[in-house]
Amino acid sequence: MSAIKSVVLSCAGIGSRLGLGQTKALINIREKPLIIWQLDLLREVQDIRIVIGYQARDIVREVLKVRKDVIFVYNHDYFNTKTGASFYLGAKDANEYVIEWDGDLLVHPDDVKLILRTEGEFICYSDISSEEAVYVMTDDNGNVTLFSREDGDYEWTGPACIKKTKLQYTNGNVFEQIEPHLPIKGLKIRAYDIDTYEDYKRVTEFVKNW
Amino acid sequence: MKFIFDLDGTVTAKETLPLVAKHFRVKAEISSLTKETIQGNIPFIESFIRRVHILGKLPVTDVSNLLEHIALHSKVCEFIQAHKEDCVIATGNLDCWVKKLANRIGCQWYTSQAKVENNKVASIVKILNKEQVVKRYQDVGEKVVFLGDGNNDMEAMRTADIAIAVGLTHHPANSIMSFADYLIFNEKALCRQLNQLF
Repeated sequence: MSAIKSVVLSCAGIGSRLGLGQTKALINIREKPLIIWQLDLLREVQDIRIVIGYQARDIVREVLKVRKDVIFVYNHDYFNTKTGASFYLGAKDANEYVIEWDGDLLVHPDDVKLILRTEGEFICYSDISSEEAVYVMTDDNGNVTLFSREDGDYEWTGPACIKKTKLQYTNGNVFEQIEPHLPIKGLKIRAYDIDTYEDYKRVTEFVKNW
Repeated sequence: MKFIFDLDGTVTAKETLPLVAKHFRVKAEISSLTKETIQGNIPFIESFIRRVHILGKLPVTDVSNLLEHIALHSKVCEFIQAHKEDCVIATGNLDCWVKKLANRIGCQWYTSQAKVENNKVASIVKILNKEQVVKRYQDVGEKVVFLGDGNNDMEAMRTADIAIAVGLTHHPANSIMSFADYLIFNEKALCRQLNQLF
């Protein structure tokens, strides 16, 4: 892992679509809170910044059980904003290059290593598996050239790495923040986000063999 | 950019007044007051006056000598000393008690002020308003980063451009969380963030 990159783990949201009554960072995946899965996978990252909002105190308490050197970043307006705002807040005072990482996205451990050793800017995508996805178009070299709600070659999942100076505060999503800066190098990974209860059950199965 | 540090628990590794109280065996009187103040249950100014009423009877030179050698967060102090012109300490502590400690750390300080007679605190002359310190720098165009942990830091943190809730010595007061941009519990991480901001 390059020491100069920060990782911004966005955990401010309410997680209402999941319907478990708590923020997704605190849901248990095989008896371990999701945020602890993330911290285990990101163990080697020096500058890890966790954006908190809903149930902030509970997340802080859980994180401090395993790691004290994280920087918690508040998104006080979490109810009215999306991941783009959390990413900006987490990134604005971080290192030059910042990796955006949704708190509800579990990345296969081998691909976490790939992400952490990749230099410069990049965008991660996976094979298409969701019905309501944001898709990416890629060129012959695997660079991401376009985000689309209609169709594409792969599904946009994140993480993404970008220079923090390119980011601006937004009420929108992370991909909308990155869009003006395309094309950016693409990385194909295995990643599973947890939006619905079905996703939750699927991820619980996926991690069995990790 | 100006970095304004609360003293107790942010720069020092221990709270100063409880240390004085313990040393001079008036711990019981002070500890409940301090606890209630940190939690925000007693207004800071009332608590401060009551604590000075108890501790002001102690020899000023003895208190000052004791505080001169209080344990400090070494990495935080290194940052302050490396950036003396850009760092300021703002503490409600009395000038007569922390003067020697201020010399040891070496940056500019803002304190409360007392009138001293016969080596005792005769009266409080001024109680520091930390928010005013923040505004003073903002008025001359400085971007202000404020670092604190207690209820008495709340207004300064609300006013500052960037507010860091610091949990190096104890968990920061819940009242300040609504105004905090960052919450940091580890000295190395805190100094990393300060250097990223600098």
